[in-house]
Amino acid sequence: MNINIKDLRFTYPTGLEALKGINLTIDSGEQVAIVGQNGAGKTTLVRHFNGLLKPASGSVIIGGWDTAKYSVAKLASRVGYVFQNPDEQLFSRDVLTEVSFGPRNLGYSKEKIDELVKRAMALTELNDKAETNPYDLSPTWRKMVALASIIAMDTSIVIFDEPTTGQDAVNVGRIAHVIAELKKEGKTVITITHDIDFCAENFERVIALSKGQVLLDGHTREVLGQEETLAQTYVDPPQLTRLGKRLGLKETVTRQEEFMQAIT
Amino acid sequence: MAFINLQNVTYKYPLTKGPVLQNINLQVREGEFVSVIGPNGAGKSTLCYALAGFVPHFFKGEFSGEIEVDGKQSSKSTLDEWVLNVGLAFQNPFNQISGAKYTVFEELAFGLENIGVPRDEMKVRVEEAMALTGISDLADRSPYSLSGGQQQRVALTSILVMRPRLLVLDEPTSQMDPIGTREVFGVVRRMAEQGMTVVMVEHKMEWIAEFADRVIALKEGQILMEGRPNEVLTSDLLTENGFGVSRYTSTAREAKKRGLWRKDHLPVTLDEAVEGFKK
Amino acid sequence: MHERLSFHIQRDSFLHRLNPLTKLVLTLALILIAFTFPWYWTPHILVLIAIIPLSIVGKVFREFSLTALRLIIPAAGFLFLMQAFFQPIGEDVIFKFYFLDITSESLMFAFRNAMRVFVMVSAFTLFLVTTHPSELMSDLTRRGLPGQFAYVIISTLQILPQMQAKAQTIISAQRSRGLDTESSFFKRAGSLIPLIGPLVFGSLVEVEERAIAIEARGFTSRHVKTSLHEIPDSAFDQFLRWALLALIIVSIGLNLWPS
Repeated sequence: MNINIKDLRFTYPTGLEALKGINLTIDSGEQVAIVGQNGAGKTTLVRHFNGLLKPASGSVIIGGWDTAKYSVAKLASRVGYVFQNPDEQLFSRDVLTEVSFGPRNLGYSKEKIDELVKRAMALTELNDKAETNPYDLSPTWRKMVALASIIAMDTSIVIFDEPTTGQDAVNVGRIAHVIAELKKEGKTVITITHDIDFCAENFERVIALSKGQVLLDGHTREVLGQEETLAQTYVDPPQLTRLGKRLGLKETVTRQEEFMQAIT
Repeated sequence: MAFINLQNVTYKYPLTKGPVLQNINLQVREGEFVSVIGPNGAGKSTLCYALAGFVPHFFKGEFSGEIEVDGKQSSKSTLDEWVLNVGLAFQNPFNQISGAKYTVFEELAFGLENIGVPRDEMKVRVEEAMALTGISDLADRSPYSLSGGQQQRVALTSILVMRPRLLVLDEPTSQMDPIGTREVFGVVRRMAEQGMTVVMVEHKMEWIAEFADRVIALKEGQILMEGRPNEVLTSDLLTENGFGVSRYTSTAREAKKRGLWRKDHLPVTLDEAVEGFKK
Repeated sequence: MHERLSFHIQRDSFLHRLNPLTKLVLTLALILIAFTFPWYWTPHILVLIAIIPLSIVGKVFREFSLTALRLIIPAAGFLFLMQAFFQPIGEDVIFKFYFLDITSESLMFAFRNAMRVFVMVSAFTLFLVTTHPSELMSDLTRRGLPGQFAYVIISTLQILPQMQAKAQTIISAQRSRGLDTESSFFKRAGSLIPLIGPLVFGSLVEVEERAIAIEARGFTSRHVKTSLHEIPDSAFDQFLRWALLALIIVSIGLNLWPS
């Protein structure tokens, strides 16, 4: 399911022009990270993917559906969106009910719901917490419940807004694992993140936004190597990329394996 | 004589099962920049609340031990006196907006109004603080209209403007863009050099190593390890206990196994990594 | 993204420069006189000689007219219709509408009450539009209102727009999970729990953290508080307050006077 964005512009009622002409195509099964400074328009952009925001001009087409013509509830069958703060979406008495909420809204059969929920809970390591009230869990686990409740909807496209904020190393590892599994299933994963090292290690394509426009778009290594351009949107290259540059390596490296190969 | 002195601090919230802090002993000298790291649930935020006087004065619960800052004992002080010396900013910036002010400038003046700073001095202090953290251009915006990262800068500034002797920061950069984060570390470093004592909870190892004087690793309410940043952040003990490490450290550790890293010490910062990998 | 969370409009006018307490007394005077002065045309005249001139003096005539047209007149109009139809007074039937009789008495009665409400809402609107909430708070605190009490008032003024913004985010999050909030009423009623749960829980956390945040900034400090904004309180302000108070007393007195 492709995402096609043409000349997308958006202005908030306050007069803030958040998106100033975005053109993008994201193919089915791509793993895309969106980076950029605070206020660059990252969240505004992805909220167009599931119709929460409608273009002021231009268009957003999700697998043939023009988001301007479909309700958010309808688009939810194609695009899952994990909000930054889990406390803004959790409400059920127990984790199992919470995770089933999305797939039930989408009207799947009971068997399918059970299967999807089971898979989502296994993927997020929540199996032993099915009966727990989400609010008795630590913020870390609440985040995993929020992830599971979207993954269980089995949408072709999954969006994560700042999934690693406030998470410790162990949980960042779990989230990376979830993204890798979604990739194997052929899902499109789009993630907003400030964590550039996380971005380098888990995504193949990076889009850097700056002041409502696409500053850079391309293969991770290609984009994250452009230190000066990235600085315009307050992003540093990954640690290993900076190290490679300082050591005078010919190729841009972003991950550990690449770095090892380059120095041996 | 240490500026901060924690003696056998143990604490349990009214509703938690076990203690969240267990027998913490800690000394920090004046003007030192100490960073606290640890997995979620290690007690980092509780330690911040304890230093800032909210544990136990605000949260109640079972507290034992003694906290001393600048020669004054927390147990013998009241919260409203304590906060004059100790400033606290925490993670969620939205909840730190007072809700009583309509512009960032007014928001920053809120604390100064409370402690009775004269109007002319107030304006000067707010302007200085805004310049320091780079938010002068936000002065007339509503605090609610800002992005999370910008709100975090406002939250930090609203405490800096109070000029506390001890600055306690609980993940103050979690929503900031990477270069913004580095800038905030720089500002905090400068404050420490001017004599402010800083205790800062953070995850971002590279900048901790670059800017902090000392690192304290907490786990399950206890101090697992403390020492110079390079020493603590490269220790195998941290990796074994689920702490994050900088990519320089993890890569050099891997390189060491393959005989590609020849130094005794692993790196945490870029400079250290360049030094060790240079041919 | 809510840029403006208060009704206040920053202008430089005579009305803006008045002391907040003076404006508060003025507002109360207008309302009390409209309701108590024992002359039928009082509220009507007040609109002509006070409300409209004040909106011009305060340089907010355009904004005020818009609010009046969109909000105050429809509300007062609705009240007028309700009372005109359902007030069983008078003999002089002007016309019949099914079983309802409209009498000239009920018409006059409804007209006056609608105008009273118009004066009340208009006076409050003008007060809110021309008074900076922080100034009001600082001024009342300076006059001895406990700081905590003032904070409760002022933050309540902000809480509605905030709750609204938060509710909006929660609605967005649940719609993203396929919750249909755009269809029938019954479906919508059923979808309230997923919206209210996070709102209530979020508010509890928020209240605690906000209490810590303002305490950390010396909120309960025993120092005498100062204020960023200089709050004018001229001799004219004081004179005006006493004069208005006298008018209120006269009006209430005449109202109670056995006629």
